[in-house]
Amino acid sequence: MNGAALLTRGFDRPDLFRIDAYLDTGGYAALRKALTGMTPAAILAEVKAASLRGRGGAGFPAGMKWGFVPQAAGAPRYLCVNADEGEPGTFKDRFILAHTPHLMIEGIILTCYAVGIETAYVYIRGEYEMIARRLEAAVDEARARGFLGKDILESGFNLEIVVHRGAGAYICGEETALLESLEGKRGLPRLKPPFPAVIGLFGRPTVINNVETLANVPLIVQNGAAWFLEQGRPKDGGTRLFGVSGPVVRPGVYELPVGASLRDLIFTHAGGLKPGKTLKAVIPGGLSSPLLKPDEIDVALSCDAVAAAGSMLGSAGVIVIDASTPIIDLLGLVTKFYSHESCGQCTPCRIGTAWIHKIVGRIAAGEGCPADLDEILRLAENIKGRTLCPLGDAAALPILAIVRKFRAELEQGMR
Amino acid sequence: MSRAFAPSLADGIALLAGRYPSKQAALLPVLHLVQNELGRVSLDDERSVAEALGIPAMTVHEVVSFYTMFRREPVGRYHLQVCTNVTCTLSGGRTLLEHLKSKLGIRLGETTADGRFTLTGVECLGACEQAPCLMVNFDYHGNLDADAVDALLGGLP
Amino acid sequence: MPVIEIDGRTIEAPAGRNVLETAEAAGIAIPHFCYHPAFAAEGSCRMCLVEVEGSPKLELACALVVRDGLKVRTGTTAVREARRSVLEFFLADHPIDCPICDKAGECTLQDYYAAYDMAESRGREPKERRDKLVRIGEKLLLDRERCVLCTRCVRFLAQTTKTRELGVVERGVHAEIATFPGELIRSADSGNLVDLCPVGAITSTDFRFKTRPWFLKHADAICNLCARGCNIFIDHHPGFYRIPGSARIYRVRPRPNDAVNGYFMCDHGRAGFVADHRTGRRERIGGNGTGAAEGAWDWDRALSVAAEKLGALRAAGKGGRIGAILHSGLTNEELGLIRSLLAAVDAGGAAFADPPDGEASGILLLADRTPNRSGASALGFETRGTDPAAVAGRSDLLLVFETNRARVPSGSAAEEALRRAPAKILFTTHETATAGFADLVLPVAAPAENRGSYTNADGRVQPFEAAVLPCLDVRPLADVLTDLARRIGERP
Repeated sequence: MNGAALLTRGFDRPDLFRIDAYLDTGGYAALRKALTGMTPAAILAEVKAASLRGRGGAGFPAGMKWGFVPQAAGAPRYLCVNADEGEPGTFKDRFILAHTPHLMIEGIILTCYAVGIETAYVYIRGEYEMIARRLEAAVDEARARGFLGKDILESGFNLEIVVHRGAGAYICGEETALLESLEGKRGLPRLKPPFPAVIGLFGRPTVINNVETLANVPLIVQNGAAWFLEQGRPKDGGTRLFGVSGPVVRPGVYELPVGASLRDLIFTHAGGLKPGKTLKAVIPGGLSSPLLKPDEIDVALSCDAVAAAGSMLGSAGVIVIDASTPIIDLLGLVTKFYSHESCGQCTPCRIGTAWIHKIVGRIAAGEGCPADLDEILRLAENIKGRTLCPLGDAAALPILAIVRKFRAELEQGMR
Repeated sequence: MSRAFAPSLADGIALLAGRYPSKQAALLPVLHLVQNELGRVSLDDERSVAEALGIPAMTVHEVVSFYTMFRREPVGRYHLQVCTNVTCTLSGGRTLLEHLKSKLGIRLGETTADGRFTLTGVECLGACEQAPCLMVNFDYHGNLDADAVDALLGGLP
Repeated sequence: MPVIEIDGRTIEAPAGRNVLETAEAAGIAIPHFCYHPAFAAEGSCRMCLVEVEGSPKLELACALVVRDGLKVRTGTTAVREARRSVLEFFLADHPIDCPICDKAGECTLQDYYAAYDMAESRGREPKERRDKLVRIGEKLLLDRERCVLCTRCVRFLAQTTKTRELGVVERGVHAEIATFPGELIRSADSGNLVDLCPVGAITSTDFRFKTRPWFLKHADAICNLCARGCNIFIDHHPGFYRIPGSARIYRVRPRPNDAVNGYFMCDHGRAGFVADHRTGRRERIGGNGTGAAEGAWDWDRALSVAAEKLGALRAAGKGGRIGAILHSGLTNEELGLIRSLLAAVDAGGAAFADPPDGEASGILLLADRTPNRSGASALGFETRGTDPAAVAGRSDLLLVFETNRARVPSGSAAEEALRRAPAKILFTTHETATAGFADLVLPVAAPAENRGSYTNADGRVQPFEAAVLPCLDVRPLADVLTDLARRIGERP
């Protein structure tokens, strides 16, 4: 891992996940600073000023989200940590959870202190079972050292963290579906309004944040908002963990400043394409982001810059596609995924994703024609903007990009 | 009529239920507990869980059918869950899957006659940097080709 | 009250109401499947998308709560395109069952398809195949191919009856409605699911394949199977006037009334009302005392004889030997006429033979299985704790009013006493045991053929008109009583 080493500080120590090692590298200092000398309001202000954008995919400013919890809301309030990490191409939260869980725990405690929360649930995907066990051990360690439980560091602040496993449903990464799943139901997204900050888990004001987002909070508290902004871009501070996967020399997680170059990430840090492979396309932000062609990858990796380039930074999971991959294969994998993961609640996504997948299957079997591509575009446009939750767009936008940008190759395959 | 759970399991369920303000919230953790203990969640188990948590059996049934990790049938000693998502498939995952099917002599969703291996396809496991990968029960294994997976399976007790 | 604008019209709406209901109240229809006024907004069908000024995306009319200054457009191109596309998604896997589907003619999907252009299908992919004959209740069948997953059925059993027998299993396009394997819906109000289902996915075995909605007329009525007085529609075919008995009731459905039954009715009434009308009816004048074959006497002769017997006892100063066995299913008007009649002949007492109380069940069915006990009370009758045996015991002439449910129980002391009474005139809707030994049996109209009013348990007086014509000798009881009173005439 090259680049900055803020989130990944101490990663050279394989025992960093144990509290002693974490303390050794300066861990829990931010918590001490906060609980002994800062008010919750001060922390909230710092995080707002730091322009910490959500690292889960939506990129919503964390401080602003915390601020939506009504002042007069009363108790209980909840924090849900979104550790569902289901976005294909994304594995950076796994790195944090496995290697530096205490960084996230410290971030959770600081966040809860700032917003007035006494119970935090970490919703971790069921497939991360072994990591969940490690996380539970870390939580126990933190409690044993007095960083969790009652009257933490004699501040009068109480907090319990509960680790809660999911069971295999991508949709539960969507915040309201996560709440439904945590309440023991099918993961069906909720109508908004009301927003979770007002009516969330068990009907109470709830903040939902991604693992990496929370892992940044100790850094902001320790070093200040101005410092954090300097690490990244205006309105998008800090560093990010970028994942790179696909036929590159060094796939993995890279901590780089927000705004780093996508081209550099792939060709410098990740070592470029493997020998004999040529670049065909790059999916910049997890599967739900529209793909970029090789002449479009000179873009800065910040939420706004990638959006301006017609895609999205999303979960910063970069998937590299090389020329040996027929685009119809990629399209089939995309449509299979979304039709399989659609919760089925709303009509356009439930029917539309399956319909498009069937058409793609027919094309892949050699029975397609150009009109089918127009049909796919039409159906994807009909899904876009009309669904109950963002999964509809997450399916539609990549499909539209693939078909539009690689139309010639798709039609070629039909002759 | 639901068959009662063994006391240790019932205790485990009660413990989980106590972590939440609503008993229903313990449903997914409880189903994991039951499945890890009994190998699967049968209709009878659904009824028992419903009774233990004070919720309708239909609710438990809905949840078991929604989440892919819960299964009605037991799996073999080693549940091989192969990622069939983008990066893994395009990095040799398809070949890997075909190799496993022919090596084990089963199709996706099936279990070997000796009850040792079950083979299923799953969505992205969140380990794309090691593509192609699979899970054996709860353990992740990546960077697999035919030889590597042969060695992996051969080394299992 | 917030003031909003819909399609250029200024409309006042009560605070807290959604745009969809506000529009409908103002006569602007917004298509929808999953929304139902009995439940909270669901937002899953996506059919009710409308344009809202200041909003970049179309919004759901069902979920949008009115606020001052809201400007909504329901008929723009964007809205119509959205509706067409959502409709196309609904129809993608929907089987073209219309020729054999009960719901044809009253199907929301059909209606919207007709309104949104009846375009040719563009789908080339094979439709999803699912189970078409799933028994989910004793009389309820589910066709999963027709189901549009509006989840009204699930929500009714979750939010209204709270019995939660239905759920949605699996996910994505494989999601389907189901009960717990091996179990059936037991709710006492399950019949409402057929009405709630916007398409022909849930059908009733009572109605399946029997007729077409466009052959049916709909009459407003009041259910008479308990004291709730649920408002209903009687869906019937009037028959052909030349063919007696060709009128037929096919089903009853709840008629919305916020103050009485909301949007629903119970299964007991739903099935009972129709069954009572159709089976075991008494249709001919007869009786032991007529000394002739059934049907040989007409009303004129029957009532003359009855009036004569009554008049004779009155004239002899023996009015006190005239008794009446009544029931709380008689209308206010009938009870009023009976009271006048009994007074006119100086009659002795009256007793009530009502069906026994049952179990109150579900969301509507009350223990009191009579529709007009409150009405009878208000008219001065004592309905509970009366002694029909005693009244029969001291009567030379008994006027007995019965139905299949309200009658003197077989083998009871009351029936014994009834048999021993010298003369019995029976006014009945059904072939009761009493009809087997009464001297004069007069067939009267069942509720669907009758007019009058019932007073329900809340004291609400609810009038109703006849929906179908009676056949053969059957006559409305009020007419019979008026006729009889006229014949008896003023006391001399």
